[in-house]
Amino acid sequence: MVATEPRSARTLAASPGTNAPSTGPRKRERRALQPHGLPWILPGLVLSIGVLYFCIGYTAVISTWEWDGLSPTPEFVGGRNYAQMFRDPVFWGAIRNTILFFVITFTVQTALGMLFAVLLHSRVKLGVVYKVIIFIPVVLAPAIMAPVFRQFFSADGLFNGILEFFGLGAITQPWLAQSSTALWVLMAITVWQWTGLTFVLYYAAMGQIDNSIIEAARIDGAGNLRVIWSIIWPGVRGTTVALAMLGAIGALKTFDWPWLVTVAGPNHATEFLGTIIYRQTIPNYDVGYGAAVSVVLLVLALVMAIILQIRGRERAR
Amino acid sequence: MNTARAGRRIRIAAGLGAVALTAGLAGCGAQGGGGSEGTADSGTIDWWGWTPDVNVANTYIEAFNEEYPDITVNYKQVPIEDWEAALRPALQTASGPDVFGVQPGSRVDAFKTFAEDLTPLAEEALGEDWKDKVSQIGIDGLTADDKLVAMSVGAVYAGSLWVNQALFDQAGLEHPTTLDEWVQVCEDFRAAGIGCFVQGASQEGFDQDTLQAIAERVEPGAWTEASKGERPWNDPAIVETFEIWQRLFTDGIMQEGAIGYAQYPDANNDFMSGKYAMIMMGSWYTQYAPEAGMIGAIEAAGVADPEPFPLVPIEFPDVTGEGNPAGYFGDADYGLALSTKSDNKAAARTFITWLTTNEDAQQIVANTLNNIPALKGISADWDSITLPFPDQQLTALQEYTETVSQATAARFLHLNQDEQDAILEAAVSLAEGTATPQEAADRMQETVAALGE
Repeated sequence: MVATEPRSARTLAASPGTNAPSTGPRKRERRALQPHGLPWILPGLVLSIGVLYFCIGYTAVISTWEWDGLSPTPEFVGGRNYAQMFRDPVFWGAIRNTILFFVITFTVQTALGMLFAVLLHSRVKLGVVYKVIIFIPVVLAPAIMAPVFRQFFSADGLFNGILEFFGLGAITQPWLAQSSTALWVLMAITVWQWTGLTFVLYYAAMGQIDNSIIEAARIDGAGNLRVIWSIIWPGVRGTTVALAMLGAIGALKTFDWPWLVTVAGPNHATEFLGTIIYRQTIPNYDVGYGAAVSVVLLVLALVMAIILQIRGRERAR
Repeated sequence: MNTARAGRRIRIAAGLGAVALTAGLAGCGAQGGGGSEGTADSGTIDWWGWTPDVNVANTYIEAFNEEYPDITVNYKQVPIEDWEAALRPALQTASGPDVFGVQPGSRVDAFKTFAEDLTPLAEEALGEDWKDKVSQIGIDGLTADDKLVAMSVGAVYAGSLWVNQALFDQAGLEHPTTLDEWVQVCEDFRAAGIGCFVQGASQEGFDQDTLQAIAERVEPGAWTEASKGERPWNDPAIVETFEIWQRLFTDGIMQEGAIGYAQYPDANNDFMSGKYAMIMMGSWYTQYAPEAGMIGAIEAAGVADPEPFPLVPIEFPDVTGEGNPAGYFGDADYGLALSTKSDNKAAARTFITWLTTNEDAQQIVANTLNNIPALKGISADWDSITLPFPDQQLTALQEYTETVSQATAARFLHLNQDEQDAILEAAVSLAEGTATPQEAADRMQETVAALGE
């Protein structure tokens, strides 16, 4: 492939003991190659700038409008949508929900993912079956599973039936119909769905840890917990950082489960930024306000990704 | 590779990129007009709506084609939850619908720029006094800035309860007429292992129906006045309405977990599958009274071997005991609008005129029992409708459809989406017990006042 040639040339030049070509002809070669590569990337470049980045910019512009999404004459209102958003208790409730949602789901998924990965790295019978069972929820669409969970956690649903079967009838309640429990149910559903992915990534990362280090630790008398804490956990730090980043951005983008299971209720108890954006933009026709929340979501996602990336690098040092 | 070929490739790629960029820009912000007339008695028109159901629409189209065989009508039903998202971009392109459904109220204002004024059409079809010949509720809800954005096919009314008479008979109970009787009936049903009243209290529209029905019993017209902004939402009549609403939860009338329920599909499925004896539904439920409609509805609720039951409308109980009459309130179910971008406007006008003003067409609308027809003087031909339990159903249904068609109070017409959200918030706070009726009413008034600033 043409685009790899300059890199190959650099690699050759950097390698000791090779007959690297002189700098002058290499520069000329790269210049000659540039027009050949540009046409190949230009459509993608134009598409990404024209569609993706343009629309992000356009969303930022819309966020300064009072607009129903249809009218040909939107009204410019400056920062009013942002001011309204920062005064809106529903927005701050969504931020609180997002933070709680991320902390709980990430912690539980990490713990369970690590646990399953460690267990399945030991020689368990039917390991492949367990892996499939753990991973299946990842590929199930929320739209398919939402009605199941609505029924499962309803007042006369299976979950309460199970509790009653085990003599825990006193704690049965309408889990999705209470502000105090609905968010926790959504977190449980999310953990159920995404633990499989966490497990697979940890499982793969653990496979990269040099076995001799673990063996050396065992010879030095380290027990299972000590090996996990001092060798495996630091060894999969990169994976943990990546999962934290994915989890944080995922929490910010959360939409499908709360919308399909609780419609962001009751009383905004399961409201997230994504549900606010959808409600304001589509049913409420307040496209300007929806765009303002979208811009804030984008900024938060970028900030979160940068912070986690920097923290991950610092720890890696 | 020679320079000429490279330059040519760059130009081609740049051209493709420019096309992609233009498409991206167009997709992000297209507007504009267009459309063409075509001929009035031939052509193909696309009709989009969230309602009616496909089988009902096909009944209309088949009857229309008996009169206009050369006009092909393609009906596309979009689920209500996707309706707004689907229609908005479609109306901005020439490939969207020629005829589209419009909900009364705030949606009319939003879509008015994409629809032709149908006033001349109504005048031509019904004469200068056309307003006297159709339901006023259908005109009020579908007009914006003196422009008749859509013509009403029919209206729906709420304020009634529907009961499964077989369950009442099984438990040996009478229909409740007061709040205390309602509480007692629910206790008796529970004792018999039967669900009493089911409501999807997570959905604003149906909560509002129950609230407005209560308010009509508290003080007729109070809810409508508050909706119009003519009295505050923390008026004593509304506070009393909220108190009674809260009692529906605390006194065991509402099923457990009601605020986690959706009216559709949850509550509807539970009622249709015989788990509950009562439900808050409106005139659109009449279509399930005949055997065919009922069997389909029960099957859709997940029952393998559907058996029809006597579905009967009853008055909302007199929950205050003050003897105020049961109130009914409604809106045009939907209107048909003519897209300004239609490429066959003449044929589209023919179809709209036929369905909304033709007596034969409106009789078909009446007989499907989904809507009360827009044209005055048309009512369902009960002799041609087969009811599974005519002794128990016929009189009740005849009286019900006659009564509700006289209603003049609006259902959603005077409330925008933010106000409806505030009503839902108040309803859920009361149901959860996180607000007193006075607090909920005050908060609602504050919210609505802030929206008006």
